[in-house]
Amino acid sequence: MKDRLAAAVKQSRAGYTEIRVERTWSSAVAFRGRRLETATVSEDQGGFVRVLNNGCGWGIASFTSLDELPAMVSRAYELSRAVRLDDPIRLAETPPEVADAILELDGDVRGIALSDKKKLLDRYNGAMLAVSNAIVDTQSSYRDEVSEVWYVNSEGTSLYQLRPEVVVSGTAIARRNGTIEKGLESIGLRKGWNSVQNFEHQFRVVAQRAVDLLDAPRVRGGAYPVILDNELAGVFIHEAFGHLSEADFVYENPQAREMMTLGRRFGKPVLNVGDNGAAKGLRGTLPYDDEGTPTQDTPLIKEGILVGRLHSRETAAKLGERPTGNARAISFRHAPIVRMTNTYIAPGKKGVGFNDLISDIKLGVYACGAFGGQTMLENFSFTAGWGYMIRDGKVAELVKDVVLAGNLFQTLDRIDHIAGDFTWNQMGGGCGKGGQFPLPVTEGAPHVRIEEALIGGDV
Amino acid sequence: MIDRVLDATRGKVDGADALWRREEQTAVAFESGRLKAAGISEEAGLNLRVLVGGRMGVAGTTAAKPDPAELVGRARASAELGEIVDLTFPGAAASTLPPIPTFFDRTANASLAELIRMGRLLVERLSRPDCQVNVAVEREVADTAVGNTAGARGEYRATGIAVTADLTRIAGDDVLMVYDQYVGADMPSDADLETLVRSVETRLTAALRVVTPPDGALPVVFTPAGLAAVVLPLEQALSGKTVLQGSSPLAGKVGATIFDERLSIFDDPLTPGRPASRPVDDECVPSRATGLVERGAVGRFVYDLETAARAKTQSTGNGRRGVFGKPHIGYTNMLFRGTDGAHGGQTAAPLQMLGGGLIADIDDGLIVDDLIGVGQGNVISGAFSHPVGLAYRVQRGEVTGRVKDAAVAGNAYELLKRIGGFGGDGRWLGSRWSPSLLLEGVSVARR
Repeated sequence: MKDRLAAAVKQSRAGYTEIRVERTWSSAVAFRGRRLETATVSEDQGGFVRVLNNGCGWGIASFTSLDELPAMVSRAYELSRAVRLDDPIRLAETPPEVADAILELDGDVRGIALSDKKKLLDRYNGAMLAVSNAIVDTQSSYRDEVSEVWYVNSEGTSLYQLRPEVVVSGTAIARRNGTIEKGLESIGLRKGWNSVQNFEHQFRVVAQRAVDLLDAPRVRGGAYPVILDNELAGVFIHEAFGHLSEADFVYENPQAREMMTLGRRFGKPVLNVGDNGAAKGLRGTLPYDDEGTPTQDTPLIKEGILVGRLHSRETAAKLGERPTGNARAISFRHAPIVRMTNTYIAPGKKGVGFNDLISDIKLGVYACGAFGGQTMLENFSFTAGWGYMIRDGKVAELVKDVVLAGNLFQTLDRIDHIAGDFTWNQMGGGCGKGGQFPLPVTEGAPHVRIEEALIGGDV
Repeated sequence: MIDRVLDATRGKVDGADALWRREEQTAVAFESGRLKAAGISEEAGLNLRVLVGGRMGVAGTTAAKPDPAELVGRARASAELGEIVDLTFPGAAASTLPPIPTFFDRTANASLAELIRMGRLLVERLSRPDCQVNVAVEREVADTAVGNTAGARGEYRATGIAVTADLTRIAGDDVLMVYDQYVGADMPSDADLETLVRSVETRLTAALRVVTPPDGALPVVFTPAGLAAVVLPLEQALSGKTVLQGSSPLAGKVGATIFDERLSIFDDPLTPGRPASRPVDDECVPSRATGLVERGAVGRFVYDLETAARAKTQSTGNGRRGVFGKPHIGYTNMLFRGTDGAHGGQTAAPLQMLGGGLIADIDDGLIVDDLIGVGQGNVISGAFSHPVGLAYRVQRGEVTGRVKDAAVAGNAYELLKRIGGFGGDGRWLGSRWSPSLLLEGVSVARR
C-alpha cells in the first residue's frame, strides 16, 4: 500500500501532496433495556488527498473508492489551483519520518467471537438492570476497532500505523412517576479485548446512583466554592483551556493572539497544564499525528503562566513555533485540524488529598463525574453527573443537575488548591470540533478546588 | 445495486431490505476572511438488513465493489445473535410515492466559482476591522435507493446547500461569537444571503454593550436558535423507542393536553425545498406528515418499522439508516405552528428585530439566542441548566445589551404549559422551523 501511495504522490503535479488511506475493522454490540439492539461486524475504508500549490490554498479530496486514487490526486490539484492566495500557506519544517508504528493490541478484538462480545455486554447491562426495579431502561454499547492507517507525503514521510480502540458504555435510567434520572459509565481505551473485562462493579455503581438521584434535590443556583473530582476536573481543563490552546483559533487572528500571548498569567502558581499525545497506552495517544509529525508532551501552563500551544504544521509556521503533533482527523473523510490528545492538570503536592481541599469550606459543592462539556472560548459549560453539597467542611447531601458556568479568565485564576491524587480518566465518546466528532481524547487531573464558580439552577 | 444484493439474499433469508446511498460534496472554506481551501468528497455505501428465523441482523459496507454474498453472510451472522422481531416489510403497493421535489438543478450544477462567489459576498458584507469572519459553503448531491424482498422500491436524487457564517470579535478579554446559516435544497438567492447578513449584524450590534445580568425567576424569550434546549426533551420523549422503553414522560399521554393550547408541532418530510424532505423513508415507507403535538395535546409518537412492530402500530415513516448499523428513528423537518397558523415559510426578514416582537411587555428579562452544553444533562427529564452563550438583557421593553456569566435553568414540560407569546420571526434553523417563544418563570442565576 505504501508503494501504491508513493507512486500516486510522485505523479502529483502539486508542490506538496499527502495521501492518507484507512481501513478500519470494527464490531459493535448494543443493548437497550433487556433487548439486544444489534451485533455487527463492519469494514470501512477510504482515502484522503490534500495538496498545496505555490500561491494557492488547500485542495482536498476524500473518497471511498480507492480505484479513484490517481483521479482524486488530480482533482485535489485542480481544486487547490482554484484557491488563489496572496499570502501563501507555509508548512513548518519537519524531518521526514519512515516507520511502522504498531500499538499494542492487548487481546486482538478481531480474533474474539461476536457472541463473546455480546455476552460481555449482556453482563454489564444486566448488572445495571439488576440494581433496582426503578431502573426502567438502559442503553449499553460495546464497540471495538482496529484501524490501519497509511500516510505518505511528498517530503519523504511514509508511515503505517495500527491503532486499536475499545469502548464500553452504559447509561442506566431510573424512573419513579414523573421523575427520571440517569447514571453513566464509559470506559474507552486504545487497547483490546483483555482491557475491558471485570467492570461489573462500576456499572452497578452508576445504576445505583441513578436510583439515588430520584430523591435528590436540584442544586440551588448561585456562586459557590466548588471541588471538582478527577473526572470533572479533566473535562474542565479540556473545555476551559484546552480549546483555547489550539493554535488554529489564534493563528489568523491578531486580537486572539494578543489575548493568548505566551507569558500571560492565567492561573495561580499551583496550576500546571499540558497535552501529551505520546503518553503510553492512553486513548488519545498516537505515535504520529495525521500530518506525520511525532506526538509529544507539550507544556501549556507552567506555574500559572501560558507557555505553549498546540500546533499543526500550518499554524506552527504562521506563528514561528514548532509543530507539536496535534493535527488530527477523525477519519479519511476529514482534513486534519488542530486537536488535543491527552490533556492534563498536573498533580499538586504529594500527599495533599481531598480532605485538605474541603476542610475550610463552609458552604460549597462537590461536583462529580461528567455528562459533558462545551466551550465558546471565553465562556464554557461543564456538566457534572452528580454532586454533593459541602457543609462545614464535610460532604453533605446528594444533589442533581449540577452544571457549572465557567469563564476562562475568572475560573482558571480561581483554582487555589490542587490535590496530589492524579488519575487519567479514559472515557468513551470524545471531542467535537469543526464537524469532526467523536475524536478519541483522554483527560487527566487530580481533585481541584475553585474558590468560586457559578452553578445554574433555581435561585 | 439494491436488486443485486436483494437477489443475493434469495433462499438464504426469510426477508430483507436494503439502502444504497451515494453522496458527493463540494465545499469551500474562508478562514479569517480569506479563501483557504476547496474540497470534494465522494462516498458510497450499502446497508442490508435480513430476517432469519424471525431474528434480525444487519451489515454494511463502503467497499467500492461490494460482494453481495459476503454482505449477506455478515448480515446472517448478525441475525444469529439478534432478537426475534415480528417485522413486516411494506409491499410493492407502498411504492406509490408522494410527489416532492428534492432535486434542484441549480444546486447540483452550481460551479466551484459560484460557491466561491457566494462565500466572498458574505465575507465582504460581514467584514469589520475588529472581527474575524469565517464562511463555509457546502453543496451536496445524494442518490438514494431503497428496496425490500416484499417488492417495494424507492429512489430519489436530492440536493442540499449550507452556507455558514461566523463572526468572532475579541476586544481585550471579551470574546463574542455570532453565527448563522442558510440551509436549503435549492440555492440561496442574493436576498437570502442578505437576510443572513442582517441576522448576524443585528445580533452583533445589540451585543457590543455588555450589561449586568439579572437574576431570579424571569420572563425569557427563546429565539429559534435558543429554543434547542427546550425542544430536545420533547424530541426524545416523542420517539416511539423511548415510549417502548418506559423512559418517556409522555408515554400514555396521547390526547392529553399538557402544553399550552396554542402549541402545535409537526414532523413533515414533505415540506418543499428542505434538504431533510424525501418521498420515502430509509425503510421503503412512503413519507407523510405526523402531528406530534396538536393544540397542546400529545399527538402521535414517531416510529420506524421495528419499533412500530413492537408497539403494534404503523411506522410513521421515520426510519433512518446509515451505512453501518440498523435503522433507527429519526425526525425529518420539525415545524412549530405559529399563532397565525403559518409555518414553514422563509420569513422575509426574520431578525430585523431581536425577540420577534415579544419584548414590549417585559420589564426585566432575557432574550436567549444560544446556550452552552445543550444535550449534555439529564435531557429526557425535561430539566435543563446551561450557561448562556449569547443572550441579551431586556429592561422596560428594550434590549439594553449582552449578558455574560449567567446561567438559565428550567423544565421544558413546566415552561411549555403556558407560553407567554409566539414571535413573528418564524424561520428555519437546520431542519427545525419555529418562531421565538416567550416563556415565563425561567431561573436565571449570575455570579
